[in-house]
Amino acid sequence: MANPTLPGDDELIPRLLAQDETSYAQIVAAYHGLMVHLARAIVGEAIADEVAQEAWVAVLRALPGFERRSSLKTWILRIVSNTAKSRLRHESRTVSLDESFEESPIVDPARFKPNAHWASPPAMWHADTPDALLASTELRNCISDALAVLPPLQRAAVTLRDMQGLSMEVICKVLEVSESNGRVLLHRARSRIQMAIEEYEKQ
Amino acid sequence: MMPSCKDITEHSSDYLDRNLPWWKRPGYWLHLAMCVHCRRYVEQLKLTVNTISKLPDATPPGVTAGQIQKIVEKMKQSTKE
Ligand SMILES: [Zn+2]
Repeated sequence: MANPTLPGDDELIPRLLAQDETSYAQIVAAYHGLMVHLARAIVGEAIADEVAQEAWVAVLRALPGFERRSSLKTWILRIVSNTAKSRLRHESRTVSLDESFEESPIVDPARFKPNAHWASPPAMWHADTPDALLASTELRNCISDALAVLPPLQRAAVTLRDMQGLSMEVICKVLEVSESNGRVLLHRARSRIQMAIEEYEKQ
Repeated sequence: MMPSCKDITEHSSDYLDRNLPWWKRPGYWLHLAMCVHCRRYVEQLKLTVNTISKLPDATPPGVTAGQIQKIVEKMKQSTKE
């Protein structure tokens, strides 16, 4: 994950504190795309870039107090996540961040027998590689739609884990959730996408 | 104790990510060895995860030199306030 053109945190942090413009440009080049990607997952495409820009200002403001309990990258992504969450709280009428931790079962209980073994087990899929699945425009759209209706924190978890490849430990720090809640968010998100593919494959 | 099929579906991400607690692993393996449905379920979750990572939206957006310059200006401005 280390960015080859970016100096290590030990070198970079003092330069940023000294308001070195070249270091500003380096760190923006390295992380802005990741920040917009994360912000998009939480607040949506339209204001994602604005949220990421707002986060940069917050990063500079908070940097003198940064205690180095995580990497600079993790800490910056956490600021993005917090900026995005507070935008969501202010602007949305209905979305609750808490719904992400709902306790509903992963698979429809009607698909199990009373002894919790399969009554209606998963069927074979026609495609057995990602490329084969994604060759269908219709399925790509089904997956995009399923991602779009996920609760924001679930979408953030799957973005950070399965798209950006971050570790669960880092993700929990970024989203400020416990380890077990982080895993719940990720598994729910993946399962909803799995269900969307399953529905499509049934047709 | 051996997990049920429902238990398998509830913890399949932990299994794939090697995050199952050690004491749950033997039961999980044993169930998968014996249950073709759950093997398929877990395989399909794995395929789902690999598919998510290949979506067009899975790649973070690129940043142009112009955008970088604009943000750097904003950062410089903010330290003067
Ligand atoms: Zn089973």
